[in-house]
Amino acid sequence: MYVQCIAESINIMGTRTGNAMRQRDPGPIVEMAHEEVADGGDFLDLNIGPARKDGTDLMPWIVKVTEAVTDCPLSMDTTNADALIAGMQAAKNPERHLMNSISLQPERMKKLIPVAAEAGCYVVALLWGVDGMPRDSNERAAMTVELCMAMNEAGIPNEKILVDPIATPITLGSDQVMSGLEFMAMLPEIVPGAKSTVGLSNVSNGVSTEKRHYLNRAYLAMLMKYGIWSAIVDTYDHELIELAHGERPELVKIVHDIMDDNDPDPDSLSPKELEYYKTTRVLMGKTVFSESWLEL
Amino acid sequence: MEPSAGSIAECVIGDGDKAITVGGEKTLPFHVFEGDMGNAPRIAFEVLDSAPEEWPEPLVKHYSDVFNDPAAWAQKCVKEFNAKAICLSLVSTDPNGANVSSADAAKVAQKVVEAVDVPIILWGCGNADKDTETLREVTGLVGTRKVALGPLTDANYRTLGATAMAFQYPVVASTPIDVNLAKQLNILLENLGVSLDHILMDPSIGAVGYGLEYTYSVMERIRLAALTQNDDKLSVPFIVNLGREVWKAKETKQPSDGMIGDQERRGVLMEAVTASSLLFAGGELMIMRHPKAVSMTEALIEGLM
Repeated sequence: MYVQCIAESINIMGTRTGNAMRQRDPGPIVEMAHEEVADGGDFLDLNIGPARKDGTDLMPWIVKVTEAVTDCPLSMDTTNADALIAGMQAAKNPERHLMNSISLQPERMKKLIPVAAEAGCYVVALLWGVDGMPRDSNERAAMTVELCMAMNEAGIPNEKILVDPIATPITLGSDQVMSGLEFMAMLPEIVPGAKSTVGLSNVSNGVSTEKRHYLNRAYLAMLMKYGIWSAIVDTYDHELIELAHGERPELVKIVHDIMDDNDPDPDSLSPKELEYYKTTRVLMGKTVFSESWLEL
Repeated sequence: MEPSAGSIAECVIGDGDKAITVGGEKTLPFHVFEGDMGNAPRIAFEVLDSAPEEWPEPLVKHYSDVFNDPAAWAQKCVKEFNAKAICLSLVSTDPNGANVSSADAAKVAQKVVEAVDVPIILWGCGNADKDTETLREVTGLVGTRKVALGPLTDANYRTLGATAMAFQYPVVASTPIDVNLAKQLNILLENLGVSLDHILMDPSIGAVGYGLEYTYSVMERIRLAALTQNDDKLSVPFIVNLGREVWKAKETKQPSDGMIGDQERRGVLMEAVTASSLLFAGGELMIMRHPKAVSMTEALIEGLM
C-alpha cells in the first residue's frame, strides 16, 4: 500500500518559509521544496494561511516559484478562495495540482467548484459545514454526499476528489477519532472511486511537541486499514514517510491486528512495536489517553 | 454492560476510630446487585478559615454564630450536625483576597485540627504557590494527625506531593474537568512516589444548572475506564467539592418568591440534587455546606447501600 504524502512544511506559519513568503524571497521556499521532495513528498502543500490582503498575488507567485524548480504536484492551501483561483490560473499544469480545499460553505462551493472543474485539478472535499465540524460518521456521510454531488454535477469526477473526514485531537477523546475511521470504512460505498486525505497532525494537537510523531504515525497506520489515499504530513519524519510508502508493513500489521481486536502480547514486542501498540490502543480508546501514555 | 474487572483503591483519612475509608468499589456506583460497593460514600462539612462575606441567608442562619471562630465552627458541625469529616477551606490566604500570611493561616488550621477528632481535609485557596507555602506550614504544626492536603495541581504537585509523602498524608489531585489530565496527574504523583491509595481525585465540578452534566460525564468516563478497562491510574476515589459551587449560584441567593419558591428549600434542594447526581457518577467524598442537604444526602446513601 502506498499513501501519497502531501508535504506540509511550506507554510506561512513556519519560521523559514513564512518570512520568505512575506518578502517574496524564493530561496528558502525552493530549498525546502527540494528537501521535501527528497524526503518523499508526493505533493507540496503551499499553505499561505488566510492571506486576506495579498493572497491573489502570493499564491500565483509561490506556484510559479515551485513549478520552476520541481515536477512535484502542488497543493494550494488557503482559506482565501480568490487566491486559490489565481493560483490555479497561474499554474502551468493545473491538472496535476490539488485545490486545498472546498468545504460545505455555499459561497465557497459556488466560487471554487467551477474553477476546479475547469482546471481539471484534484480537489480536497473538506467535511466542514456551516455549523462547523461533523459530530459523527453519519453526519460525515451526509456532508460527503452533498459536497461530492455538487462537484460531480459541475463535471469533477470522483477520481479527482479527495474527501477529508477531518482528524480530531485525541485530547478531545477517542470517540471522535474512531468516528472518523468508521466513516473512512463507509467512504467507498458512498462515493465509489473517490480518494481521501487527512490533516494527520490534527490528531496530536495539544500534545507536547516531542510526542506528537507517535500519535501521527499510529493514526496514519490506522487510516491505512481503510485505504487512505493521501495525508498531509511532516516529511521530515522519515519513519512516517516509510510507513506511508509501504516500507514498514510489520508495524502497520500490528496496528491493524489491534484494530481487529487481535492484540499481540506486549511482552513479545520490540520497543518500536510497543510505541505503535500503546498509541493505537489510546487512539482507539482501549486505554484512556494521558501525556505519559508511552511510559505505561 | 460487561462485568467490572477493576476496583477502586481505598483511601483512609484521619486517625483512630474516627478515621474514614472511602473507595473500594468493585462495581458501578450503587450497583450493589452486581458487585461489592466497598465503603459507603462520605460527606465532609465545609468550614471557612475566615468569616464568609457572600454566603446567602440559609447558610448564614446556621453558622453566623461561629463565623469568626473556625475551631468552634468545626465543633458545631461535629456536635450539632454529626459531621463525619471537616473540610477547612483556607480562603483567607488568597493573594487576590485577604491574602492572610501562610503562618497565620496555619495557626488557625492547627486550632481547627486540634478542636475536633474527625478527619480533616485542608483545602487551599487555589493559588498554587500560596497553597504550597500554606500547606507546608500547616504540616509542621499538625504533625502526626493524618489530614488530607489539597488541591494539588500540575503546578505544585511536586512540592506538595513530597510533603504529603513525608507525613503519609492523602492528597487531593485537582484537574479541570478532563479525563486525560486527571489520569496524567495521578501518573505524575505516582512517579513521584505517592501511592494511588493516598490520592483523592478532584475532577472539578459544576453545580446543577452550572455544568453538572459535563462533570457527570467526565466522572462517568473515568469510573468506567477504571472498572471496565481496569485502568489502575484512574482507579482512585473521587472527592467532590460541591457546596461552594452550589451556594455561589444566583438561585441560592435570590429571596423567596411565589415563582421560584422558598429560598432555603431551593438552596438545600440544589445542593442535595447536585450531591446525589454526582454520587451516581462515582463521588465518594462529598464536601457540602447546608446541614439539611447533608442529612438528605446521607439518607439517600443509607437507603441505597
